Amino acid sequence: MINICHMKKNFGELEVLRDINVHIHPGEVVCIIGPSGSGKSTFLRCINQLEKPSGGEILYKGENILDKSYDIRKFREEVGMVFQRFNLFPLLTVRENVCLAPVLTGHKSKAEAVTIAEELLKKVGLSEKADVYPATLSGGQQQRVAIARALAMEPQALLFDEPTSALDPELVGDVLEVMKELAKEGMTMVVVTHEMSFAHEVADRVIFMADGYIVESGTPDQVLEHPGEERTRTFLARFLTTDKTEKYAGLAR
Amino acid sequence: MDAEFYQTIIPMLLSGIRITFFIAVTGILIGIVIGSLCGYILQTEIKPLKAVAEVYIWIIRATPLMVQALYVYFVIPKWLGVDLPANTVGIIVIALNSGAFMSEIVKGALQSVDPGQKEAAASLGLNGAQILFHVVIPPAFKIAMPGLFNQFIISVKDTALLSVITVNEVTHQAQNYAALSFQTIPTYTVLALFYLVVISVLIVLQKWVEKRFCC
Ligand SMILES: Nc1ncnc2c1ncn2[C@@H]1O[C@H](COP(=O)(O)OP(=O)(O)OP(=O)(O)O)[C@@H](O)[C@H]1O
Ligand SMILES: [Mg+2]
Repeated sequence: MINICHMKKNFGELEVLRDINVHIHPGEVVCIIGPSGSGKSTFLRCINQLEKPSGGEILYKGENILDKSYDIRKFREEVGMVFQRFNLFPLLTVRENVCLAPVLTGHKSKAEAVTIAEELLKKVGLSEKADVYPATLSGGQQQRVAIARALAMEPQALLFDEPTSALDPELVGDVLEVMKELAKEGMTMVVVTHEMSFAHEVADRVIFMADGYIVESGTPDQVLEHPGEERTRTFLARFLTTDKTEKYAGLAR
Repeated sequence: MDAEFYQTIIPMLLSGIRITFFIAVTGILIGIVIGSLCGYILQTEIKPLKAVAEVYIWIIRATPLMVQALYVYFVIPKWLGVDLPANTVGIIVIALNSGAFMSEIVKGALQSVDPGQKEAAASLGLNGAQILFHVVIPPAFKIAMPGLFNQFIISVKDTALLSVITVNEVTHQAQNYAALSFQTIPTYTVLALFYLVVISVLIVLQKWVEKRFCC
């Protein structure tokens, strides 16, 4: 569905992505893990071209979306993104946040958008918050609004960049619940995360990235429980000593 | 200091204040347009336009308003070969002057909008203009509002300097009257009180607007 071939990205001298090849299939949930600074965010941002890749190809529906002639807005309308820091529009109510893009891009009439917003807010458990402003919500609630906002475009796939990393631990669960629900419904998702339990439970594929390369890729069982590469093992081991997912202490052994 | 004094001076000042406000309001409205454009340009990477905006702001900031007024009133018409009425010059000068200062306010306000919100908007498929008008300008406007209002108050006071080019604003009216009547002390006292009251009203209004629309 989204085929990323030999993608490279450098910021000046700094090579952040060296040679990334990932094919994302419809309905698949791909979790990306890796140490800080390994290029995970850059990878996601290069997919929808919030950053311009320095090289390679991204094929989507038979077109290379990196072609100059390709209007990236078309891709962005179909592949949404959820950010670590939510990035809701502060002067718009929750409902307006959700309705803005479908209306402006001409996907939906105002009335249709409002109806869809109701449904989506119900789905993320925030029906009663439609008329409040984002600042009055907890981080977890804001992130669920952000997910509803992305869903309002009726995307083919969603990119998540550490959607729970900015949240207090007790708020993480609600957001992950919503994401699990989406996965169950067959949404194609690429999720950068440090939530190993989520990756283990939901991912069809886990990719371990380090230094701009894909070091290892496979089922959660392969990558998280029986990593073949030394780097993966080191990462997971260190991860377990610093992270809250003690219950998966068995994973990295 | 009698009834006749007040009967003459008050209508004079009132007509003067009308001109003061007309010039200040028209000038600042044009100034907002100039300031918005320049402020927008300043935070883009369009080098040539940026250079033009920077030179303009530099010239305005590096010369006194009174000199700008004299220049536009006496020199520019010579070049253009047309006479500009004093009031028109007044508006032009206030517009150029407030525009330059508002450019900086607008630039700062636009830059203060969280880039994450722009990225979120872009990631939803909005185009540049939609992002600008629906995502960037509303919060930027809120941030710029106090500064813009402040500039308005400054511009109202700056109009007094236009008396130098015979604009019949309130200070010039008072000067005329004082010169004719020799009632220097009461005339300028009333003038000063006039400004005090008018600007105080604007300051109260500013506070109210800030309370109401900002934060
Ligand atoms: N706009 C930029 N300009 C210059 N360097 C950048 C830019 N964005 C990212 N980098 C650098 O690229 C490298 C990879 O960053 P990236 O944010 O992709 O890492 P990450 O894997 O998402 O890390 P984290 O887990 O901390 O979020 C880092 O060294 C970072 O400093
Ligand atoms: Mg990151």
